[in-house]
Amino acid sequence: MRSKILIRNLYKIYNEKKENEFFALKNINLNIKCGEIVIIKGISGSGKSTLLSLIGALSKPSSGDILVNEQNIAKLPDIFSSQYRNEEVGFIFQSFNLVDGLSVYDNVKAPLVLSNINQDELKKKINLALEVANIAHKSQQMVSNLSGGEKQRCAIARALVNSPSLILADEPTANLDKNNSLIFVDILKKFKQLNKTVVVATHDTIFDNLAFVDTYVNIEDGAII
Amino acid sequence: MINKNFVDFSILLLLKDKKEYLFSFFIFTFIVFLASSILFISDSIKHDLFIALDKQHQIIVKNTKSGRYTPLSEEHIDSILQISGVDNVKGKVDGYYYFAQDRRYFHIVVDESLDEHSMIISSEIKSILAKFKYTTQFNFLTQDGITSLDIKKVIKSNIISNDVILVNEDIARKILNMDEDEYSYLDVLVPNNSEIDFISLKIVDLYPDIKVKTKNDLKSDYEYVFYYKGGIFMILYIVSMISFFILLKNQISSVFGEKKREIAIFRSIGFAIKDIIFLKFIQNSVVALCSYFLGVFLAYIFVFIFGAPLLKNIFLGHDASHIIFTPIVDVKTLFVMFIFTVIPFLASILLPAWKIAVEDMSEVIK
Repeated sequence: MRSKILIRNLYKIYNEKKENEFFALKNINLNIKCGEIVIIKGISGSGKSTLLSLIGALSKPSSGDILVNEQNIAKLPDIFSSQYRNEEVGFIFQSFNLVDGLSVYDNVKAPLVLSNINQDELKKKINLALEVANIAHKSQQMVSNLSGGEKQRCAIARALVNSPSLILADEPTANLDKNNSLIFVDILKKFKQLNKTVVVATHDTIFDNLAFVDTYVNIEDGAII
Repeated sequence: MINKNFVDFSILLLLKDKKEYLFSFFIFTFIVFLASSILFISDSIKHDLFIALDKQHQIIVKNTKSGRYTPLSEEHIDSILQISGVDNVKGKVDGYYYFAQDRRYFHIVVDESLDEHSMIISSEIKSILAKFKYTTQFNFLTQDGITSLDIKKVIKSNIISNDVILVNEDIARKILNMDEDEYSYLDVLVPNNSEIDFISLKIVDLYPDIKVKTKNDLKSDYEYVFYYKGGIFMILYIVSMISFFILLKNQISSVFGEKKREIAIFRSIGFAIKDIIFLKFIQNSVVALCSYFLGVFLAYIFVFIFGAPLLKNIFLGHDASHIIFTPIVDVKTLFVMFIFTVIPFLASILLPAWKIAVEDMSEVIK
């Protein structure tokens, strides 16, 4: 199977060459294939969120390469890395990161406003994402009025709306109860069926020993063990 | 790429945060309103003064003795006419009549078209006279006794005409107690503008007590009094500027905090730095343009329709209640004000927004 993400000799160093220099990631090498579901496990501060933010081009590595679809995203200028995040990546965050004061519908619409698609297509895409995330019935509700699980599904709908091939989820169940966490696991299965490549950074044991997960990666002190 | 969806979304976010933007909107509108009102008032006053000035000849000559103005005579006219370059010298009669009952001075100005029994007064004078039941005529107390004049017409009060009573020249002399060959000032006509200063000096050489003012001197005097650098204008501009900087500070701090997180969210879903800048540009342009045009519009209504209550008294004193401002809009000055208010207003948002957008956002949106 073709490589979706190929990481080579990746380092992320904070406060480089200063007294308080800190290696968040050390010599990471990883190969994730198209359509794989990968769970990155590790305790808080182990570097798994940093790795996810580098794969998502939210920040730049200190050195090393991150090839997504054989294109090195580590050194992309802002305009291209933003385009990559918009078209290729769907983020799901621990704290949902929804825009308060907007409805579910408008939150899900946000990634689409950068593309010049017509209103019909826009609505179609949003409604499809809302259906997949099972939050269509709350589409006109303000996100501030939603429960934690509903906010998570809204965030999932937003991550899916642009049909990205890569889903990155950072501690997606940290703010959810057991039931909603199980619902998220079911959604992961759905992603698998949709042939999405998914990388989940978590320390939640609910993701342990899942049959549909292709790879578990353990990370400790910034290094894969 | 900027498109209709993006613009619609920017406006949606603007409406979402309308409470925050309303504060900026009202403060900015007030600042523009205050600054525009001052501009409109000063421009209108200057316009009326300059119109009046244009009707005068190039040199005005007044006589003084012990520092006080005294009348000029035919002899002065004859001597000044001898100066080469002077085409004509006209003796003018005007002065002030003290109306003791109201402790006010009326400006007596000659209008040759009037007969010896009538006068034209300003609406301000009309209201003063009406207080003392002089509704159709007024009795001037002169050296020769009482001179009664009928009110023929009432003219609008502006900066020039506010305290004016127009009368026949003979009546003016009677009221002001001036003899046949006496004049309040002389209007000197000099056809060649380049000779004005030289002829002014010649007149002073001839009569050292005489005060000579050229049209340009008067223009400078008016400019000084009603220019934005002068007195009360400056104070009001400083107040506007201080308010404006408070507004800018509020703008800048609004970008940090919750807005910082919002910017990071948008960055995470694919907004480039330029998209964030453009998003903020659209939102704040809407606020700034609406505030600016509303402020200018309200100032126009306030000054030219309602006569700038309160501000008028600050500029022209308590006797100015009937003064009407001639509607004058200096587009150039308004444009300069636009540049100096709208651009800093936008910059106060766009620069911090850019600063946040370029930061590593991964820590903000965990």
